[in-house]
Formats: sequence, C-alpha cells, structure tokens
Amino acid sequence: MTAIQPPLTEPEVDALEVGTTATKASKGRSRIPWRFLGGRAAFYLFTLWAAITINFFLPRLMKGDAVSAYLARNRNVTPEAAESLRALLGLDTDKSLLQQYIDYWSHLLRGDLGVSLLHGLRPVTEVVGQALPWTIGLVGFATIVAFTIGTVGGAIIGWRRGSKLDVFIPITTFLNTIPYFWLGMLAIAAFAVNLRWFPIGKAYGVGVKPEWSFEFIGQVIHHGTLPVLTIVVASLGGWMLGMRNMMLTVLDEDYITVAQAKGMPNRRVLWGYAARNAVLPQIQSFALSLGFVVGGTIVMEMVFSYPGIGKLLLDATNAKDYALMQGVFLVITISVLIANVLADIAYAFLDPRTRQTEA
Amino acid sequence: MKLRKSLIAVGAILTLGAATLAGCSTSTDPGTSGGAALTIAKPDGAITTESHNPFLGDSSASKYGYAKVIFEPLALVNPTGDLGTTPWLAESVEWNDDYTQLTVVPRSGVKWSDGEDFTADDIVFTFDMLKTGKLTDGAALKVTDVTADGDTVVISFDGSKYTAQSRVLHTAIVPKHIWEKIDDPNTDPLTGEGQAVGTGPYVLDSWTTESVTLKANPDYWGGELAVPELHYVSYGDNAALTTALSSGEADWAQAFIPQIKDSYLAADKDNHFLAAPTLGSGTVFLNLQTKPFNNVALRQALAWTIDRTAYVDIAREGASTPIWSVTGLSELLDDEILPEYKDANYSVDVDKAKQILTDAGYTWKDDKLIDPDGEAVSFSISVPAGWSDWNTEQALIAEELKEGLGIEVKIDQPDWGGWDAARQEGTFQAIIHWLEDTGNAYGLYTSTMDPKWIVDNKAQFDFGRFDDPAVTAALNEYANASDDASRQAALAVIQKAFVDNVPAIPLGSHPLLGEYNTRNYVGWPSEGDLYASADPTQPGIVQILTKLKPAN
Repeated sequence: MTAIQPPLTEPEVDALEVGTTATKASKGRSRIPWRFLGGRAAFYLFTLWAAITINFFLPRLMKGDAVSAYLARNRNVTPEAAESLRALLGLDTDKSLLQQYIDYWSHLLRGDLGVSLLHGLRPVTEVVGQALPWTIGLVGFATIVAFTIGTVGGAIIGWRRGSKLDVFIPITTFLNTIPYFWLGMLAIAAFAVNLRWFPIGKAYGVGVKPEWSFEFIGQVIHHGTLPVLTIVVASLGGWMLGMRNMMLTVLDEDYITVAQAKGMPNRRVLWGYAARNAVLPQIQSFALSLGFVVGGTIVMEMVFSYPGIGKLLLDATNAKDYALMQGVFLVITISVLIANVLADIAYAFLDPRTRQTEA
Repeated sequence: MKLRKSLIAVGAILTLGAATLAGCSTSTDPGTSGGAALTIAKPDGAITTESHNPFLGDSSASKYGYAKVIFEPLALVNPTGDLGTTPWLAESVEWNDDYTQLTVVPRSGVKWSDGEDFTADDIVFTFDMLKTGKLTDGAALKVTDVTADGDTVVISFDGSKYTAQSRVLHTAIVPKHIWEKIDDPNTDPLTGEGQAVGTGPYVLDSWTTESVTLKANPDYWGGELAVPELHYVSYGDNAALTTALSSGEADWAQAFIPQIKDSYLAADKDNHFLAAPTLGSGTVFLNLQTKPFNNVALRQALAWTIDRTAYVDIAREGASTPIWSVTGLSELLDDEILPEYKDANYSVDVDKAKQILTDAGYTWKDDKLIDPDGEAVSFSISVPAGWSDWNTEQALIAEELKEGLGIEVKIDQPDWGGWDAARQEGTFQAIIHWLEDTGNAYGLYTSTMDPKWIVDNKAQFDFGRFDDPAVTAALNEYANASDDASRQAALAVIQKAFVDNVPAIPLGSHPLLGEYNTRNYVGWPSEGDLYASADPTQPGIVQILTKLKPAN
C-alpha cells in the first residue's frame, strides 16, 4: 500500500510536472493571464485618453483661424462676408475651451466627429472613410511586401555570411537613404513618362468607375504598382539589415551548432532554428510600422497623386480644419494603439519570457 | 546553390508579374464618338469627398471648378482684356444710375438639364435665398428685394454694387424645382438622384475619387459643343501636374509652372500658355504704424528702388506685367489714371531714392542707412513658406535694398497661420499680398487705404492701417456715386493720396494663368484675343467651351 502510494507532498515538487520555462509557457497558454491583460488594458485606455486629449488641445495652440484660411483659398468670397462665413462654418460660438472639450467627448462617444470645413462641410467620418482604404491598401500592402522580402532576404544573407550576397546590404541601405520624393520622381520619369509601362499617378484611370470587375481591379493594380515598388525599394534596407544582424547573433548560438552536428538539413536549421529566433524583434517593429501605415506617406501621395490620409492631414492642418485634424489624429492614434496591442499579444505567445510577470 | 536558385525564381516571378501588369492594361480610351475629351487638371491632391454644391467654396465642384460648367451665371464679366460684361443666362442685364438695382431679362428657350424650363422664377428663387439668409451671402451682396415683373426680374441691393458687379452677376443660378426641396442649400452635397441639375453646357456623368466626368448637354441653349466630354482630375502637386500636362495626360490647367518653357512648352509645339493680366496685383504692404515705414520718405525711396521688371521676369518667370505707374494701377485701368499722372512712372532710380532719403534727414554710415533718429534701418519682409514666386521676390527685394540703399532686409517665411495672424493684427513690417478685385481702380485703393476692412482691430485688408477720413469719404463716394462726374472727383482725391503717401507698392499684375493645347481643339483665348482668361476655374470657361472648334 505504502509502496505504491506516493508521498502527499510529492506532486508539488515533481520536476517533470513543473518542467522548464518552456513548459510553463505552454501551460500558461491554457489559462488566461487576467492580471497581465487587465494591466495592459488599463494602460492602453489611459494612453487613448491622453492621446485624444492632446489631439484636441494641440491644434488649438496653432496660430491662424479657419475663416481667413477659407478666404485665402476662395478669393471670390469677399472678406466682408467673414461674419456670415463664421456662422456657416459653425465658428461663431464663444464657448470656453473646456465646454468645447466636453462637447467633443460627448460627440465622439456618439461616433460624431463633426464636419470638415475643407471638404464641403461633409462629415469627417465620410471624408476619412473615402481616403483610408487607399492608404491601408497601398501602404499596408507595401509594408507587408517589404517586411517579407526584407526578412526572408536578411535571413538568407545572414546564413550565407561572407558570400557575394552580402552586397545586397549596402545596396538596399543606400536605396533606403535616397529621399523618397526623388526616388518617386525618378521612377515616374523612367517607367511612366519614357517607357510608358505605368501611369504617372492616381489610384485608377480617368473616367473609370469603381466596381468589382476585373477591369477595375486590374486598373488599381496597374496604378498601384509603381507606388508600391518605390515604397518597397525605399524601406527594404531597414528590414534586411535588421534581420541579417539578428541572424548573425543567433547563428553563433550553441543549438545551431548542435543542430548542424546532428546532420540536420541546412534548410531546416536555417528556417526552423535560426530564422525563427531571429525574427522576434522584426515582428515587434513590423507591428509598430503597421500602426504608422495609417498615417500614410504624404510624399508618396503627392508624388503619385494617390488618395490617402497623409495629404488629408496636411491640408487640414494648413486650413485649420480642427474637426478633420482631430478625426485623422484619432484614426492614427487608434491604429497605433491597436498595432501595439497586437504586438504585445503576439509577443506574449511567441516569447514566453514576456509573460513571466504572471508567474 | 539551391537558395540562390530560389532567389532567382522569386526575382523572375516579380519581373514577370510587373511585365504582365504593364502589358495587360493599356491606357483608358476616354473618347466617345465625335471627338476627344478634354482633361482639366488641378494640383490640389486627391479630392475624395463628393459635393456638387456651387455655393460652397470647398465642395468638390468648386475645387475642381466643374460647378462652373453645370451652373451658369446671369452674365460673364471679363476679368481681363476689355473688362466687359457679356449677358449669359440673361438676354440683358442693366444697372440703374447708382448701381443699387439690377434689371434682368432672362434668356428664353433655356432648359434645365432635366428637361424643365428655365424661367424668371428660378432667378427670383436664387436671389431670394440670399435675401432671406437661407443661403449664406458669401459675396456680401445684401439683396433687399427681388421681384419678377412680366419678362423681367428686378433685384435691389442695400447699397451701390458698382464695385461688386461681377459678384452679383456671377451668382450661380439654380433650379427652383429642385432647390426648394433642399433643407440647407449651404451644405447640401447635391448627391441625391437628379439633383445636380443646371443650365450649363455639360452634365455630370460620373464622380469618383480619382476623376469627374461630364458629358455635353445635348439640349444646350448655346448650340452644338465641339468637346463631347470633360474629365476633371487633380494631381498631387504642381510637379505631378506638370508631368501630366507635358505627357499629354492632362489638357488644360491653371497652375504656376516653374521654368514653363522647358518643362511644358518645349514638350509639344501645340502646348500653349496664357497669362491674362487682371486688376489684382502682387503688392508689397508696408506697416505704416511702426518704424521704419511710418516715414513716407522711406516708402517713396523703396518705390524708386524695387525693380518691378525683375519681379516679373525672375520671380514670376514672365507670368505677370510690371506696374510702374505712380498711381499703382495696371495697364488695364489706363482710363482711370488721372491726366496729371498719365506719364508719372516709377523706375529703378537709386540716386533719386537716395536724394529723397537725404532730404528727409537720413544718412549713411559704413554703407548702412541710418534714420533721422540715428538708428540703422532694417525690416523683415514676410511671405508664407512655399509660395515660391513671392519667396523669390523676397530675396530680390532684400538684395536690391541692400545694394541700393544699404537697408538690411530680413527674409521671414512663416507658416500660413503665423503669417495670417501677423497681417491681421498688424504685427508685421512688410508683406506681399494680393488685392481685392472690384473690376475698377477701387480694388487697389480700398485694399490699401480703406479702414473699413479693420473690424475688431483685425484687418482683412488695409494691413498697413492707413486711415485718413478724407480718403475714406472719397472711397465711399467712389463706390456709391450715382454719376461718373462725382466718381471721378472722388478718384482724384484717392489717387492723389495714394501717390503722396505710398501706402503700398504694387509690383506686377497678378494674372489668371492657363495652360492648354491645340492638338484637338482651337478657339482658345490668346494674347491677341482676350475674350476671357484661359483659367478653367473661372466663370468664363462656359464661353471658352462654346467657342472651341475641332482643330481640323
């Protein structure tokens, strides 16, 4: 009886049961780390509140006012009409800043972002909604492509260090340092004006109506190719360099030597052992850059006449269009926060060490 | 080796993909039967919000300018050339003696693009919206009464409209049967089915975030139109627009293009550029309230030193006409220059400028100008960053004044907000600014000498804060006079005050620009035939479109 009955205290210290950090991590997956999640949630809510508050106050610190900006844009409107314009644009109120702040929150919670002075007094949600898909589609796609090519390329170059492939590093880094507008204009001059392979700009052709047809989708791809390629070329260097450097560190680890000593195929060592560990910091910066995708790239939008959030924000700032500015800031803030949340979660799963506060 | 192979494969796939994409989509053919479309382009970035409201300055219709080909005005006032008035949606327009009442005979046989008849009621309705305040009175017309009397419409105003004729006549006329159902005519985007209806030569066909297409109105009262289709597009900036114009992707624009000869005109012999002079001028406003410009001698010296030809040739790259008359008026207003000033012109005459300064007690020390109080003269001239032509002029003025008179000029290029605040509050020293356009000499003089623009201590014009009760009275007399003789008498007072006081220094007329090509159509305005400006965003576009003929 006593021989087969284990001592009562035994399971508490069973080495197999407790396992290593890795076991703890896999066990951790089965239960939800409430304290960890709650802490993060509180932190993000506070950040959101702070960002929205700053978004409200910052534009109001700028000099100049919306009506004189409107008059400067529309010289056929006489300054004598300034007063009636103030009423039309909804700027004739003498509410205190605090009252405006409270109103802003109550409108925000109802999903009302106000009307944009710069866009024919249309709701900000509509204005942002028209531009956002293009920015996310184009810049988001380009970022994913650059990340993928850069990371895979960096892994291969790191693996074959000292080979001729190393030449890619200075080349891509060099392309990274070229001012983007210049790269864009060169691309237009070469591929659009001289070779006529691609159009010189815009998201799709003149007179084409958006619809779910192959012709329209073909147009969007055709028009988007040059902007995507230039963004990829311009941002590839960072991803490639980062991955390659991490690879060099990881390749010196003992478990790589062990894996190779066991006679494992190179391909498996490279992707299953080295790259898998080296990619962790890459994923962190990828999540962050996804957040900034929504901010758009003003220069790309200007060079390629592409619709998007960046130019929207620039024009809103120049025109003192507070409602639109706040709307765009809000979208950017939220997307950066969401990207951070995703990065946190992804990291928590990928790298058990980040969850150790729970233990 | 394997890795390298897969790399090559990836590269090949990418290249193939790009090549296929390039091959499969040829450029869209915009042509419908009977002629090529015209593509009208702006450099304002993507215009992604749809609104066809002609009364709202920032609706897509106003930004692109296509409101002007859908909705027509009563008459077209030429901003250049003979400055004449052409009745348009009216058979005739007639002002009473003191310009407080306009009598309009509506054009007969005109139909709205939805088939309804255009009548006097539509004119009454449009001006009535302004009268009741339902529609914001952006042009400050102050309509007091509108009545239809048989075939005519009589519109009354609360003051003389002599200085605002084009504002009255260019009011877009809208259809009563549609607009009476619109709750807020100020902000309604007119995107509902069948709402964007006008009398104009073109009707809206499709609207996308990338372009707007309009088709010729088959029932247009003005007759057959040569151009079957208009496309409006907007490019990211001036550089992108220039590329589009040079490559033939866009046909017609109104942008300021640097090095236009090389970048645009050289690309095709059919490319043309027209800078139509207008009454508005790029003008240096001086702050008369503070040192150094509270001394008239210094202002006069500046007027004798600043090279207007350099402004036109270098800063504006030829797209302007210099203003040398001491009255500050441009050539178009020769009739309004008083006989005594007919040949009184400034020139670059540094010796004369120095003489004026010496007489006023200025001295020089180490080549630096010292004012009568013993301080070195220096000031800053301010223009928002990015206004490239005037930024160049800042540098030119700084150089001319340093070399000619020994004045240290600081170049200030703030953002729009900072510049705007300074000009309104009068905290600047010198700025370059545009003028109010009134269709006559009044524009220059009210912009530079009329304290009516200063409300709550914020200036919308008269930035230098010139204030002389006699001149103010004369300006009011000029605007409200009921006959030419009293207007002329008022002008004499105003003009003398401008010449004596030099409250501002006009540099060169600010033209309306137009780039167009004669590949498919001819009949454009030209320097010899300025029946309109070639600017596609001006009301005169309807006149141009009716005059265009196929090139062969």
